Amino acid sequence: MSLLTIHGMRKRHGERLLFEIDTLTIEAATGYVLTGVNGAGKSTLLRMLAGLERCDACTIEFDGERLPLHPYPAALRRAIVFVHQHPIMFSTSVFHNIAYGLLARGENKRDVAPMVEDAMRWAGVEHLRDTDPTRLSGGEKQRVALARARVLQPRLLLLDEPTANLDGPAREQVMSLIPTLLDAGGSVVMACHDRDLIGLPGIHRLKLRDGRLEYR
Amino acid sequence: MSLLDAIAHAFRLLFSGDAALWHIVWVSLKTSVLGLLLAAPPAVFLGYVIAMHRFPGRRVAVWIAQAALSLPTVLIGLLLYLLLSRRGPMGGLEWLFSQQGVILGQMVIGLPVLLAFTLAAVQALDPRYAETAVALGASRWRVMTTVLHEARYGVMAAVISGFGRVISEVGCALMVGGNIEGQTRTITTAIALETSKGEFAQGIALGIVLVTLALFMNGVLVLLQGEANTAGGRM
Repeated sequence: MSLLTIHGMRKRHGERLLFEIDTLTIEAATGYVLTGVNGAGKSTLLRMLAGLERCDACTIEFDGERLPLHPYPAALRRAIVFVHQHPIMFSTSVFHNIAYGLLARGENKRDVAPMVEDAMRWAGVEHLRDTDPTRLSGGEKQRVALARARVLQPRLLLLDEPTANLDGPAREQVMSLIPTLLDAGGSVVMACHDRDLIGLPGIHRLKLRDGRLEYR
Repeated sequence: MSLLDAIAHAFRLLFSGDAALWHIVWVSLKTSVLGLLLAAPPAVFLGYVIAMHRFPGRRVAVWIAQAALSLPTVLIGLLLYLLLSRRGPMGGLEWLFSQQGVILGQMVIGLPVLLAFTLAAVQALDPRYAETAVALGASRWRVMTTVLHEARYGVMAAVISGFGRVISEVGCALMVGGNIEGQTRTITTAIALETSKGEFAQGIALGIVLVTLALFMNGVLVLLQGEANTAGGRM
């Protein structure tokens, strides 16, 4: 079953066409990796899907409706969550960072705490609960950012190079979280170069090459 | 009176709790703080809006805000004088030569300082803060409070700079307030006019108060910025 289909997604840099995608269908509860050389537009594609970059002529089929992607529909904002390559932490606490989206969506404060605790356990960051988030390492920030996104139970999670610039145990920890993201029943699209992520079982492959999207 | 005598007299005025002197300090602080409190919400809001949005005329807005920073306060005083004088469009308020008039002047002077500094602080902030807030589903209002919270050191610097500008300005307070003893005499108008009458002691005493205030406010700023820098350095 398809979760959403995008039509007519194109990005120009001045005169140069970065990419042009006629249709892109994302199936429900499915994982994808999006590959392509640096500068192919992987991040831009994800950012357009997340409504962080304008996509004027795009339309999207979602929940049986066909909507323009600009202005960004509220239904998509609830369904799709984007995580930066280098996630930034609000200068509150790890707990409040993870609670942020829930509170922004008007969840009851009493219900938020157990959901955040659960997300922290999942990401293995319970011990960092009250830490100043600016003191976290790169791997810890990535795990908190994944927990901050997962706690919202998005139907589509967009990850921009989640393991880039991580190595050793930090990378292993993030790697081990990614397959479990699919367990919750949502779909995941990751831009990445990481061979181990590309090789994960059951993950579909999309490739941006010469401005076109190839399904592998 | 020799200079040394005047300085000695100034310290006597300061430490004897001279009522007239401390009343002038009180009027200055009151009008400056109230003017800033009135200016801060619209200025911070506008600074944020201009920093975060692309709209036609945006560069003109930035240009005017920054030009307003360098407007001489006597010119603002002249403008307000014309507006507030009996035959002016705001004459009915009867604010000329009153504390309300001085407060209005401080507000008009403080507004562009606060706006321009807030604008710069928000513009300098990492865009991922706002993007993360948006991506996590924050409303426009929540994005704004989140971004201003992350830019808080810059916004506080804006408020302190604004305070520095309004407490030290003399032109507008003199023209709109009229330097009326016990009512609209502020630290700066007193120094300007009392000196011309040969009353150095009070001027020196008030100058000491002004310098102390400046040192204190900027000390707070240095502390805040020190904290902000270490926070950035740890990232």
